[in-house]
Amino acid sequence: MSTDASGGSTLELRGVTKRFGGSTVVDSLDLVLRPGEFVSLLGPSGCGKTTTLRMIAGFEQPDSGSILLDGAEIGGLPANKREVNTVFQSYALFPHLTVAGNVAYGLRQRRVAKAEIAERVAETLQLVRLDRFADRKPAQLSGGQQQRVALARALVNRPRVLLLDEPLAALDRQLREEVQIELRLIQTRLRTTFLFVTHDQGEALAMSDRVAIMNGGRIEQLDEPETVYERPATRFVAGFVGQQNFFDDVRTDAGVLVDADGVRFLPASAPPAGAAATVAIRPEAITLRPESAEIPVNACAGVVEAVNTLGDSRQYVIRAASGRTLVTRSARVTEPQRFSPGERVLASWSPDHVAVFPAASAA
Amino acid sequence: MSRMARTRTSGRGPRGSSTLLAVPGGIWMLVFFIVPILVVVWYSFGQKPGLYGTHDNSVLSLDRYGEALSGAFLLTFANTLQIAVIGTLICVLIAVPFSYWLAVKVTPKWRYVVLALVLVPYWTNFLIRTLGWQILLAPEGPVTVLLRQLGLVDAAFSMLYTKGAVQLGVVYNYLPLMILPIFVAMERLTPALREASKDLGAGRWGTFRQVTLPLAAPGIVGGVVLVFIPLMGDYITAQVLGGAKGNMVGQMIAGQFQQGQNWALGSAMSVTLILITLLSVVLVGAVGIVCGAILRARRRLPIERTAAAATAARTGTEVPA
Repeated sequence: MSTDASGGSTLELRGVTKRFGGSTVVDSLDLVLRPGEFVSLLGPSGCGKTTTLRMIAGFEQPDSGSILLDGAEIGGLPANKREVNTVFQSYALFPHLTVAGNVAYGLRQRRVAKAEIAERVAETLQLVRLDRFADRKPAQLSGGQQQRVALARALVNRPRVLLLDEPLAALDRQLREEVQIELRLIQTRLRTTFLFVTHDQGEALAMSDRVAIMNGGRIEQLDEPETVYERPATRFVAGFVGQQNFFDDVRTDAGVLVDADGVRFLPASAPPAGAAATVAIRPEAITLRPESAEIPVNACAGVVEAVNTLGDSRQYVIRAASGRTLVTRSARVTEPQRFSPGERVLASWSPDHVAVFPAASAA
Repeated sequence: MSRMARTRTSGRGPRGSSTLLAVPGGIWMLVFFIVPILVVVWYSFGQKPGLYGTHDNSVLSLDRYGEALSGAFLLTFANTLQIAVIGTLICVLIAVPFSYWLAVKVTPKWRYVVLALVLVPYWTNFLIRTLGWQILLAPEGPVTVLLRQLGLVDAAFSMLYTKGAVQLGVVYNYLPLMILPIFVAMERLTPALREASKDLGAGRWGTFRQVTLPLAAPGIVGGVVLVFIPLMGDYITAQVLGGAKGNMVGQMIAGQFQQGQNWALGSAMSVTLILITLLSVVLVGAVGIVCGAILRARRRLPIERTAAAATAARTGTEVPA
């Protein structure tokens, strides 16, 4: 029944909508996963990412739209008839079965021959390096080990698409980073199509081929991690991925953008004429210099209010004369000059790092 | 993991102070349970002295057991065992699907309302509940009249004072004791487990059989013990609904203590009842454990054997004295 998964499958969502009561949780969502691709669905809680995943798995039925697996509609099928498998946030391991029993569960449902079950379970447990624990019960394992059992239990079925619902959320930070690397290595090796749901942007950026940023039931941007970070398509994406300094109510004045406090911006590409806009500058794009008498374009004067060491970088909080604050970050090794609280500085940035969004998308 | 952690903490405290917590309960059990049972056991070796005495232990013998195990008692005992086994089975058959429905299908808002409806009759006095059935099943009672009007039974039919009436009565009286532990066991299972099972290709029935039922097993065992043991000793239901045809051991024992004034024989019957009840529970438990072990062994994969052997070898080499 299960096909050879090498190369992975295509998963396509077309205009998928889901309403709960009066509210639309997923709003005519379109998404295409290419074979063997690792895509993350990233968004704040309540953005509809888990519901999207549950509709693909078959736990929820979409109100409209279609879900296609290698071109065939699977939207109407019950969960047990879909060739996709899920790694649950809570792992949902069967407490009464051993590790091997958990991993064998899916194969037994498909009436796979005994010898093949033995072989595939052994192989998959070796893949996640748990073969030594095959006879343990889930309760006897650590969180990280349980997570790997959940992964093995899904992968052993050679799903055409593997769905992962915040599978690393319960792990502590150091372990999570280890598992991220391991998970990515396994995915690269198997070339199974992965759809990974998370609210952790670092995780999404680090692991994915492409990241889909979801907000209010829609995908705001679907791009490679670097593009999402460097060229966010909307103000929401700009604010959700990484940190930003936002300047609202920016108006065009003789080819230069000016915000309400008089800070002037000159973006690399021509700004949209007329309408109000929002400008975003990344903290690490800002350079600090001692204050000068004249304030040029793409700069803002202020007083250092706080200095925080973040390990490899230093973060400054600058309060401008208007009262607003700017956050800047500089690598500790390369920063030209260190400032102390109370010092007057000039914060400046290059035109390349001025991101402009229409004000309408601020919602 | 958390279970292991918990065991560790509870074991760490000073032994004396934690044992102290068990003292009030221990005294209660000793004075009101162990001692009376021992008295009953002691009486069972005695005899009835003359017409007006109740017991006499001046001459000890096993004669009362011989008396108890002959004739009427054994017949009634077989009758009781049959009612108890069938009653417990019917309770399981009703309680498992009902609890599943209540724990899984009923919305949380209504779940406890329904559970309360199950329990309310149970809070009513045992005797009154049973007397209610006496009225219902009486020859001119509503149930009989209805059946007669539907033409299902003839004019001579009466269900009251039959074995069937006792069977019905015990199922009614003990059902909540079966539903409660099974419901609790099923409600504790997170929906994610059932979703995981379906995700892995199992249908509804497969999921119920392979996930829900095994995980609810402790609840079912609890319910069986809670129903079967008191049912074996029940005599009110038989007294009120059974009459002469639906006799149960509990009634017979009560008869020896009250009307018969033969405490020695009553005690011997009680001890026999306790022993056989415990024996049947242990026997059924043992069969269950063995069957479970065989089933598990048949499903064991080669890799589990390898892992177990490796663990054994590791711990073996790591503990050189």
